[in-house]
Amino acid sequence: MMKVQVLFFGATAGEVNEREIKIQFAQETTAKQAFDKIVEKFPRLKNHSLLFAVNQEYLIGDEVLHDGDELAIFTAVSGG
Amino acid sequence: MDFFQLTTEPIDIRKVTRLIVPSECGATVTLDGYVRQFTKGRVTLHLIYEAYEPMALKEMQKLVTQAHELFEISVIGIVHRLGKLEIGETSVVISVAAPHRTAAFAACEWLIRELKRTVPIWKKEVYADGEVWVEGESEPPAA
Repeated sequence: MMKVQVLFFGATAGEVNEREIKIQFAQETTAKQAFDKIVEKFPRLKNHSLLFAVNQEYLIGDEVLHDGDELAIFTAVSGG
Repeated sequence: MDFFQLTTEPIDIRKVTRLIVPSECGATVTLDGYVRQFTKGRVTLHLIYEAYEPMALKEMQKLVTQAHELFEISVIGIVHRLGKLEIGETSVVISVAAPHRTAAFAACEWLIRELKRTVPIWKKEVYADGEVWVEGESEPPAA
């Protein structure tokens, strides 16, 4: 059993109506599988072009998640 | 010393600029980015900035490191404001000191372009009749 934290910001926080959720996985899961599952759970996220991060780094590939990892889902950034 | 910060307090642009004046330098280029009232013909009342703070600081650190690799510059200072900003208030200051101005101008332009592309900060534009989170670049790319 593995538990990860998922953070939302700006537009994605609005779509999900949460800033932070916890998700459990029964078996080994890659970051991509986890994000696919979260987007399925909150289909309104599909209205946006999304960026993903694992442990505060932009998602690079099919890395396997670990217990306690911090995931984040957000839209294209607009600072400045 | 390079520095980069997020703050909810008003930014004192002169303080940022004065923090980076090393003796080997001959020029400092400072960008003062502030809240615009008209975007695509719509009147903005105010903006709200939000960041994924720990990741934003990591990404700012990467930009500072890369800028030193790309340009002949000495010191970089970046401060980005968060929270509610009124029209005309400074949202971001990027200050670059260099021995010669050409590198300082180029590095400052590169830093703001990359910051707007990679650092996880978002702005919400609040209008009289609604509000919207801006997704991606709000300005057309530079020619």
